[in-house]
Amino acid sequence: MPEPLLDLANIDKSYGGNPVLRRVSMDLLPGEVHCLVGENGAGKSTFIKILSGAVRPDGGTLRLAGGSYSSLSPQESMRLGVSTIYQDIELIESLTVADNIFLGHELPAGIPGTVNIREQERRAGALLDMLRIRLDPGEPVENLSTAQKQNLQIAKAMHGEARILVMDEPTVSLGVDEKKALMRLVRELRAKGLGIIYISHFLEEVFDIGDRITILKDGEKVGTYDVAAMTADKVTRLMVGRDASQFFSRERSTVGETRFEVSGLSCEGVEDVSFSVARGEVFGFGGLVGSGRTELAEALFGARKRLAGTIILDGEKLAPASPLEALRDGVCLLTEDRKRLALFMNRPLSENVTVAHNELFGGALLSFALERAQVADMLAQLKIVAAGTDIDAASLSGGNQQKVAVARWLLCRSEVLIFDEPTKGVDIGAKAEIYRLMTDLAAAGRCVIMISSDMPELIAMSDRIGVMRGGRLAGILPGAKAREEELIRMFMG
Amino acid sequence: MKTMTRRKGRTFYKQQWFILMVVIVAMAAATGIANPKFFSVRNLVNILEQISTLGLVASGATVLMISGNFDISVGSTIGLSACAMAMLMKRDVAEPLAVAAGLGVAILCCLFIGANSLLFKAPSFIISLACVGIYRGIALALTGGTIQTIYGKFEYLGSTRYCGVLPLLFIVSLVGYLAVHFILARTRLGRRVYAIGSNRNAAFLSGIAINRNLMTFFLINGILVGAAAALLLSRVGAVQPATGAGMELRAMGAVVIGGAPMTGGKGNILGTFTGVLLMGVISNVLNMLQVSPYFQDITFGLLIIVSLAISAMSQKWQK
Repeated sequence: MPEPLLDLANIDKSYGGNPVLRRVSMDLLPGEVHCLVGENGAGKSTFIKILSGAVRPDGGTLRLAGGSYSSLSPQESMRLGVSTIYQDIELIESLTVADNIFLGHELPAGIPGTVNIREQERRAGALLDMLRIRLDPGEPVENLSTAQKQNLQIAKAMHGEARILVMDEPTVSLGVDEKKALMRLVRELRAKGLGIIYISHFLEEVFDIGDRITILKDGEKVGTYDVAAMTADKVTRLMVGRDASQFFSRERSTVGETRFEVSGLSCEGVEDVSFSVARGEVFGFGGLVGSGRTELAEALFGARKRLAGTIILDGEKLAPASPLEALRDGVCLLTEDRKRLALFMNRPLSENVTVAHNELFGGALLSFALERAQVADMLAQLKIVAAGTDIDAASLSGGNQQKVAVARWLLCRSEVLIFDEPTKGVDIGAKAEIYRLMTDLAAAGRCVIMISSDMPELIAMSDRIGVMRGGRLAGILPGAKAREEELIRMFMG
Repeated sequence: MKTMTRRKGRTFYKQQWFILMVVIVAMAAATGIANPKFFSVRNLVNILEQISTLGLVASGATVLMISGNFDISVGSTIGLSACAMAMLMKRDVAEPLAVAAGLGVAILCCLFIGANSLLFKAPSFIISLACVGIYRGIALALTGGTIQTIYGKFEYLGSTRYCGVLPLLFIVSLVGYLAVHFILARTRLGRRVYAIGSNRNAAFLSGIAINRNLMTFFLINGILVGAAAALLLSRVGAVQPATGAGMELRAMGAVVIGGAPMTGGKGNILGTFTGVLLMGVISNVLNMLQVSPYFQDITFGLLIIVSLAISAMSQKWQK
């Protein structure tokens, strides 16, 4: 057996006491495609970020290029021959193909400080030819397709003499032919002796090009297997198999008449989606990242322009053109990205809680007494732990920040509550609070719509689960009977 | 319950305005020893009069900067607005009417920046940069580049001193501070100023109507800038298109010295007030100590850098 290119041993990482990786090990041989699979949140991203130097591990060792490290900086990782091709492609749009390849290591021309563009383009052309990538070295990157940009990233990695290539969901935005071309390129790189870590949700790709496969589940390694000895069913089972004890079980209230009805809704990223939510129901939305769930939520909340479709609440047609109108109609949205889209990080907790209520019900003058009472009530109801109501939102823990965002919508007394990834990045205690709250809201007759990538959460909380795939609603399953294997298959189509 | 205790954000002696007050008092004391005339009533009244115009402009800049916006054309706006007032007065238009027209001009100037910034999704900083030349150019065209002297008209505002010591100019300026303070601290509009400046996307998704509110912020700025133009005209008795030049930088400087970050979402009027006061006192002190006026610009520039350094360091200490 050849010497491994890379050996990651017993990698530990936790965020705020929340373990995301527990003693995970993996090695990579030259001339191998090693696939890394697992559900959303299994720890794949964290694992490769540790390799690329973006995240510091808490424990474990990284052995590569003849050295042993407890952590890497991004520069070290690159110097040691690791190159990561991310989902969001990092290229400079206004520069040419050749400029991007030579970025930071430009070839000098005669006059100091100038670049020898012709020589750069010649060498870039030779490199692209060798990789059989058909690109014009002088083409500006902004004219390239997603697939071409990805190829360029690979070429750039090869130019940097990468020996370990990490590809994170490289085919997500590619068409069928582009996918085939990428697979061919990956095979050629393997033949050149590179080690490739390949992350994908699509199992057929794994079986197409993988040599070995490592399965992660809830931050732990299930095992590493030869692809030849596995079947897709077996992999799926190993990915999702869990102890029953980890499920949160909620009391299900009796579901009443239909209150919220969406039909034929289309917007950018969503096509022709129809579903309804009944009084007291929790309607879950599952699907892969990028399947159109968040876009759908934004369209319902008036934050994204709707192109077609109707929304009906209690027999009345809604057509919110802004979040303010949606709030007045009784629809609210807890956004997925609380730092960027929900919280005012440098403003006090109290203002963060009351902002939407003030817009909806408040007068021109603030009532501090009412505000104090509301904030105190929310702190108690959601068990928010804070050193005071005047402290900035930024100084709260992730779980408490999320509770503050939830509190904002509770005060608005909306009839339809859309929660986009409500427990993302929150600790177990806060998770339980948020589950209890959603259950209570449903029991009180509200319509709760929950988007979640956390499979057990989706199954345990939802009365029904709508599966989104490629911007369309692929089907609706009863929540109590849904099984993870079945859902995963529907997610991937 | 311990989470219920209401605590002031930061203890007062760590806040920027308090630090500034200490600096102002120390500087005043030192100057007073070197030159006892500093503490004469006449000099103190003089300081208050001199900072009145800047105070109004800085109050408007406070609202805009907390909301994440900038208007660097206010200097030109003051010139245009004051010229309009003076020209109307020279043509024997009633003073209140002339002032109202000038105020209208200032408001239009500020709304024009807000509207273009929203329409073309461009930072107000850049739009207002373009408007510096436009407004000054209009003023030059209207006046033909000549000084507009109003020969003893409209003196009341600039020359009235209650009990011989309290200038009306300063009272008008104080009203401006208090109005902005009231808006920022006590009204929903004020919350929107902070929310939009802190996180515009989150503000939109919390139901705040971004466009309408940003226009309101520019409207407030326009009223304050127009009032500042009236003060200036009344105090000096003559204006020209270049009147007010450089005012925008001193106003924004005062806001920054007062502790508001350039990134928005934070700041208060007390900080701005002390920032303006510090600038006024320093200017006066340099005069008193007979320092060359060229050094005044240098001093103001350094002052802004020093106050930025202080906020940067105090943020570091908090971590």
